[in-house]
Amino acid sequence: MIYFDNGATTFPKPRSVINAVTGTMLRNGANPGRSGHKMSVRASEIMYNCRQNAAKLFDLENPENVIFTLNCTQALNTVIKGTLKKGDHAVISSLEHNAVLRPIEAMKERGVSYSVAEVVEGDDDKTLDNFRHALRENTKLVVCTHASNVFGIRLPVERIGALCRIYKIPFCLDAAQSAGVLPISLKNSCIDYLCTAGHKGLYGPMGTGLLLINTEKTPDSLFQGGTGSFSSDRKQPDILPDKFESGTPNLPGIAGLNEGIRFVLSRGVNNIEDREMRLAQRLYDGLKRNREVVLYTQRPQKHTHVPVISFNLRERDSEEIAALLSDRYNIAVRAGLHCAPLAHEQYSTQYSGTIRAVMSAFSNEAQVQSFLYAVNKISKNAKK
Amino acid sequence: MNNNLILFPSMTAVLKAREVLRRRGINSRVIRTPANLRRRSCGYSLLVKRGFDEAVSLIKNENIKTVGIAAVDLS
Repeated sequence: MIYFDNGATTFPKPRSVINAVTGTMLRNGANPGRSGHKMSVRASEIMYNCRQNAAKLFDLENPENVIFTLNCTQALNTVIKGTLKKGDHAVISSLEHNAVLRPIEAMKERGVSYSVAEVVEGDDDKTLDNFRHALRENTKLVVCTHASNVFGIRLPVERIGALCRIYKIPFCLDAAQSAGVLPISLKNSCIDYLCTAGHKGLYGPMGTGLLLINTEKTPDSLFQGGTGSFSSDRKQPDILPDKFESGTPNLPGIAGLNEGIRFVLSRGVNNIEDREMRLAQRLYDGLKRNREVVLYTQRPQKHTHVPVISFNLRERDSEEIAALLSDRYNIAVRAGLHCAPLAHEQYSTQYSGTIRAVMSAFSNEAQVQSFLYAVNKISKNAKK
Repeated sequence: MNNNLILFPSMTAVLKAREVLRRRGINSRVIRTPANLRRRSCGYSLLVKRGFDEAVSLIKNENIKTVGIAAVDLS
């Protein structure tokens, strides 16, 4: 199979990830941070080691500020719902995934309002202006994606963060599509919260996510419960990471995530980005030569895009083409709206959806050529 | 008896402190905080047999939260 659905989750995972998951279940399956026996301490060490590696990858000083979540969505919900109160206002971008849009929309019922700042591809100044104009006196949070999960367009997040810092507004970055693909340094950055999935560019198992807190002030916790600390207190502990990690964690998943992050660190994020971008450009160039193909963005480049390609065949439904790619050529891509309706509204693809191809560290040139061959075949057959 | 135990509120704090000490060549061992020393916490402690004062100082320098120090006889 040619798997280009890495935007949904990466596949395959490194062997070390699989070994860590099974090895943990076989040898270190105790509850971390709850008991004092050797296996429980080893389990805690696995979690702490993962925090250390995540802190290293994202250049964050304190490993205890790395919070484990179920996924990026939970991390984003924690920041959004734990920060915004009645009467507050938030700003999001026009390329947001439902992981941001829906919790923000849900906050309307609690008296929170929000504005959408349009992202202008290729014009960061204009994008910044749109964010600036969206800010209000009661804006208490800016949340945006690092890069569109549909069109791969990068946002000028360093500048947006700097803008937020001027007005003392917390800035939350959704790095679901960029973590492990783009270098991100939280040290000396204006990013207060970084949310990401563990199972995409970090190559961990599904059911893992991260919230990295890069500020003194923390949101309220969404969940309260057992943390293995301050057990006689009825109130949730305020210390990190305990404040946000109630209940038994997904230790096998975190062990796998730890190995996934180690894989990324060993390959080097810059190398991963270079390789995937090269493949994405080949794919884009090949698709561009086919007159039946509709592309929506400029040719992807470092600093302006992540290696994500969205396209359609003229007057054909994206789901139909994805099904043909799967059935006839054993190629996995995602079609439809990709849980990002705002982005599709901006590009007028809300009815057709798009076919999305996303490479991973395991993708190669031969797969790109096979993919282009399959698309060309399908488009030629359609013309007959 | 001299102090030899540093009490922490959470396992994450203990492991961070142990790592700090390990990097400076000070051996320590994670144990459950003995029952008579537990207050609000059912937490964990680091048993430091040699270099205790330096250990406390290093942990303080790193701003790692502790909940006290104590002397225990675990022989």
